[in-house]
Amino acid sequence: MNQKKRRLYRNRYLFLMMLPALVLLIVYRYIPMAGLVIAFKKFSFAKGIFGSDWVGLDNFIFLFTKHPQFLQLVWNTLAINLLKLMFYFPVPVILALLLNELKSARLKKWIQTTIYLPHFVSWVVFGSIIIQFLMPSTGIVNAIIKMFGGEPIFFLAEPKYFRGIVVITEIIKSAGWGTILYLAALTSINPELYEAASIDGASRWQKMRFVTLPGISGTIVVLLLLEIGRMMDVGFEQIYVLANTQVYLVGDVLSTYIYRIGVGQAQFSITTAIGLFQSVVGLILIASANFTCKKLFDKNLW
Amino acid sequence: MIRKKLDFGRIIIGIVLIGFAFLCLIPFYYILMVSFSDPALVKEGEVILFPKGFSTKAYEMIIRDQKFFRGFGVSVFRTVVGTALAMIVQCMFAYAVSRKHLAGRKWFMKLVIFAVLFNGGIIPTYLTICYTGIFDTIWALILPMAVNPWNTIILISFFSALPEGLEESAVIDGASDVKIFFKIAMPLSKPAIATIGLFTAVSHWNALMDAVIYINDSKLKPLQSYLIDLVMRSSTQEMFGSMAEQEIPTLSIQTAAIFASTLPILVVYPFVQKFFVKGVMIGAIKG
Repeated sequence: MNQKKRRLYRNRYLFLMMLPALVLLIVYRYIPMAGLVIAFKKFSFAKGIFGSDWVGLDNFIFLFTKHPQFLQLVWNTLAINLLKLMFYFPVPVILALLLNELKSARLKKWIQTTIYLPHFVSWVVFGSIIIQFLMPSTGIVNAIIKMFGGEPIFFLAEPKYFRGIVVITEIIKSAGWGTILYLAALTSINPELYEAASIDGASRWQKMRFVTLPGISGTIVVLLLLEIGRMMDVGFEQIYVLANTQVYLVGDVLSTYIYRIGVGQAQFSITTAIGLFQSVVGLILIASANFTCKKLFDKNLW
Repeated sequence: MIRKKLDFGRIIIGIVLIGFAFLCLIPFYYILMVSFSDPALVKEGEVILFPKGFSTKAYEMIIRDQKFFRGFGVSVFRTVVGTALAMIVQCMFAYAVSRKHLAGRKWFMKLVIFAVLFNGGIIPTYLTICYTGIFDTIWALILPMAVNPWNTIILISFFSALPEGLEESAVIDGASDVKIFFKIAMPLSKPAIATIGLFTAVSHWNALMDAVIYINDSKLKPLQSYLIDLVMRSSTQEMFGSMAEQEIPTLSIQTAAIFASTLPILVVYPFVQKFFVKGVMIGAIKG
């Protein structure tokens, strides 16, 4: 006992250093987790988070049986993520493989500098530019369509284009930056493998297929699993900037709905129930991704 | 014959990559081109691919716009104060947790990891911010972002990798934990701290969601909120044709505001670039 006290005393400065972050972590990360209880309550501001009356699973039963949009919102979220998985996910892999083939170090550096850049610009800025590009009267895209004699299209007001626009803008904004982990993995491939392959008369494509790709396959699988773990989460800002009332049917996702109805119309309990559902499914997905990773590579994702 | 075929493959690779790089540059080219063109010609819809009639009128109007300045000020404040606070608080915590003799070290580590995997979500966080009295104050943009669990893990792993011999000799010389942190650990970790610091600063500058949810006071709206109002006003006008003509911010003003607000990012970008190329790759996982 005495020894334990002495150890704590010896650590007193360390504890003092930890204190500010610990307080912030508990207040802004852990108290909100406790606040999730309002998903099981009828929240009233006056009674507070912990004083409000319990309603059991009522909010969840309402969501799954009577809520007009809930299933549509879940589907929109999944649909956008599935499209991203199919069309966005392979792009950084391909870009990294191609960059690896470049002989000129200067060209490679120039391309890297350029394709990383959009990642550092906010969604507001990037999305605003996309909105202007797609404007029916002044946008470049419609100017080109008109030049070829077509009718201008208001892309952002057409539900059928919305998800495609989300995926394409994601590719331009993030795929370049997405290469960085693959490029890091590429540096750890033993150069002797390439030499050996050359001696055996392998072509560029064969080397790419049998040396480079296996060299980064571990990274690909890990990132794929992480991506699957984030299936219930679509970046709020991208949708918030690009979407409008015309495309809510296909473009409204869980996070934008929670914001609009929860913060905007003060329906705290039902939106917290949606949020809890989202977080729990996310946690289950990431835990199963980790389990798969353990089985495949015998190591944790984190 | 074989050589010719190889060159052909390389050319295709070059074209694809350069093509993608241009795709990434087009947005930047476009805002520069439109914002520096003659606003009258932009309004006529004549500026589509190439600049016409050089003019800085749009920038002059932006500079005179008080809302822009206020937004700029809020963004600078939250970025500078927010980043400084986040780095001090997170480094102190990460250093302490990385010390092997710390009691309860494993538990603190678990506390951080769990915060990466699970969160309370939008509404409970919003309510917490209301109840802690920082709603609609500048601190709503600073305090919740001060401890980022993921960045903290990266800093912990960095401090853990520092050679232990240094600390031992400092202890023998009678240095306290605080002294070791400031005199030894911090100077040795400059690259990691700079990298995480730059990422934090960029995310502060670009953040929109927290301002949208936690800020109502128009005096406290950061630049990103100002920009989205500017752009949204004109796109809803185009969609519904409901607003009065003179209220619409023209394309020239929009692009000038966008460029002016992106300039700080473009200025720090070479430094960011230098740091992450230098090899703190672990910081990249975040993006």
